[in-house]
Amino acid sequence: MRIVLALLFALSAGPAMAQLSTSPGEVMRGAVNNFIRPAMTDFGGKADALSTAVAQLCATPSQANLSAVDTAFANTALAFGRIEAIRVGPIMEENRSERLLFWPDRKGIALKQVQAILSSQDESATSPDTLRSKSVAVQGLTALEFVLYGIGFDTLKTADGAFRCQYGSAIAQSVAGVANELVAAWNAEDGIALHLMKPDATFTDFRTPIEAQEELVGILSHGIEAVRDTRLNPFLAKGDATAKPKLALFWRSGLTVPMIRANIDGLQSLFALSGISGGVPNDKADLPIAIAAEFANADVALDLVTEPVEAAVADPTQAQALADVVTATQQLGVLIGEQLSAALGLSVGFSSLDGD
Amino acid sequence: MWQRRAFLKAAGVGFAASLMPQQLMALERNELVFASSVQTKAGGYGAVLMGERGDVITTLALPDRGHDITVSFEAGRGVVFARQPGTFAVVFDPAGKEAPITLTSPEGRHFYGHGVFSPDGKLLYATESDFEAAKGVIGVYDTVGGYQRISEFPTYGTGPHELLLMPDGKTLVIANGGIETHPDYGRTELNLDTMDPSVAFVDRTTGELIGQLRLDAGLHQLSIRHMAIDARSRVWFGCQFRGSASASPQLVGYATMDGEIKLIELPSDTLLDLRNYVGSVAASADGTTIAVSSPEGDLLVAIDAEGKRPVLVETLRNGCGLAPDGTGFVASSGEGELIGIAGSGEARRQFDFMFDNHMLRVG
Repeated sequence: MRIVLALLFALSAGPAMAQLSTSPGEVMRGAVNNFIRPAMTDFGGKADALSTAVAQLCATPSQANLSAVDTAFANTALAFGRIEAIRVGPIMEENRSERLLFWPDRKGIALKQVQAILSSQDESATSPDTLRSKSVAVQGLTALEFVLYGIGFDTLKTADGAFRCQYGSAIAQSVAGVANELVAAWNAEDGIALHLMKPDATFTDFRTPIEAQEELVGILSHGIEAVRDTRLNPFLAKGDATAKPKLALFWRSGLTVPMIRANIDGLQSLFALSGISGGVPNDKADLPIAIAAEFANADVALDLVTEPVEAAVADPTQAQALADVVTATQQLGVLIGEQLSAALGLSVGFSSLDGD
Repeated sequence: MWQRRAFLKAAGVGFAASLMPQQLMALERNELVFASSVQTKAGGYGAVLMGERGDVITTLALPDRGHDITVSFEAGRGVVFARQPGTFAVVFDPAGKEAPITLTSPEGRHFYGHGVFSPDGKLLYATESDFEAAKGVIGVYDTVGGYQRISEFPTYGTGPHELLLMPDGKTLVIANGGIETHPDYGRTELNLDTMDPSVAFVDRTTGELIGQLRLDAGLHQLSIRHMAIDARSRVWFGCQFRGSASASPQLVGYATMDGEIKLIELPSDTLLDLRNYVGSVAASADGTTIAVSSPEGDLLVAIDAEGKRPVLVETLRNGCGLAPDGTGFVASSGEGELIGIAGSGEARRQFDFMFDNHMLRVG
């Protein structure tokens, strides 16, 4: 991470001056080919491995096989975390986003519905085909996390957990199915990737390079806002209110902070690998440096959070570090959503326009 | 129709008396007066009252970003509502004689940025969120009693946005955008899979539902947000689509108290240029033309309400605010531009502040 950042600093500060004429088309090709496609493929592979691992656990329940599932779950969740912000194209169709990760879940719908499935041993939840017709909240990673880490998870090590395991297996297959639909759609020759890289007046979504680049800046800007609004602020202490770590995503599996890091790392990689800095005019050359520095601030703060979220919020140093991550996301929101978009001559205020 | 003289009369002697000579001259020169929330270049927020000639008559500082403004001559007051999920509304005296009053939404509620007065000016209605229950409510404020919040009634939906008073003076029409948000999660949209937008007609005296209209179930991600009423009392609405960018449903339609709800067919090019987003809707002074805007698509479209087809398409970078003038519309932008369209004689003007999403004609 540090090496990548150092490289980015170097590129932004010095030799990058030579790239200041990067076209929107080049930026979009960089975004798609250097980051989105490989990251989607990685997610698909990790999800396949998870599906295989859960099937193996169901066939031969054991602590070792459960540990293998835990590892595969973390790999899959974090691989998804890196591409979660790419809310364009196939993820926006057929409720794929909610089917992969139903979150935020303010009313605890997923928990109630998953518990109902487990307690009633609903057989129709044990096949991905019949699971598909159920609530989106019971089909994805939030549901699978409860199966693997919620009350009663240790039955998975024995035959007593057969139903729980079969349901988990159906979820893992469903996640893998959706993940591979994303991989296929992004790798298709004539799909979303083409529309972003070679916009055309005949397309309904992206007709000009500027529109495509607006989408990219929107992904970065909305992505950073979502980390703050859905992954940090809901559980952090504020004012008189104490911290509520059990409102955090993946607190049971200890993946709350790794997921935040995956989200931010994905955005940082997309920013760097797209080469979007190269489109910033010379007189704004310090802007990409400021953005990279703020990503680095978020990284430094996350490094200080070393314990699971429940312990982290109770420790003043780690709680402050989490607050510092919030500050970094606020700064990045302004730097990307307002200043970068203005420097690139795009419609300003992506976030500020939405929903009003 | 509110003209400048009516505005002066309604505002009373105090209004003119309190203005600085320069402001008074500005008012004298202008036949029409407009109001809008703004953001200053320095990043501050406020609201402005300005003449058609572009003279800024008066300004009001706001604690955070404002959204729509409503004015009542009967109450002698205007109100700027915080942009959602803001918790303040500022009641101001256009005459500047009385200090502004800041209203705060009660515990468990926030504003959505829109409101309207009763015809007699005694009550103020605001769209608000009961965010724990994820239900929209109309907060009712007693303007005579210091703007105390005296009651509330449901909007019969989630995520209400604009509300208007129907010409009968009794019925409120409410655009339930259908999107659930909660302050704990910022502006994150929490229910895109189960959105249920609607247009609701509600009796403002009883809070009872008179009728509620929904588009086809396949269009459940089409959030109905802004409205204007035409000469035949049809409620024109503009939508924002929350589904995939590769889909492009129609975005503009009308609803009637007879129970009709329909999307009109905009030509494909125009529809695509709106970028799945309509930011405001206005009716011309005679109610025969409807204008809609898209700051996402930098587009303004004027529609013949009878023929239900566009009569003019104009580009305005980051254009969103729309208000009728005598002959057409003025349109404002997030870049600080003000232009006239569809028969308006307004010349293009550039201001040193940025206009928010809505422009109100107040006189």
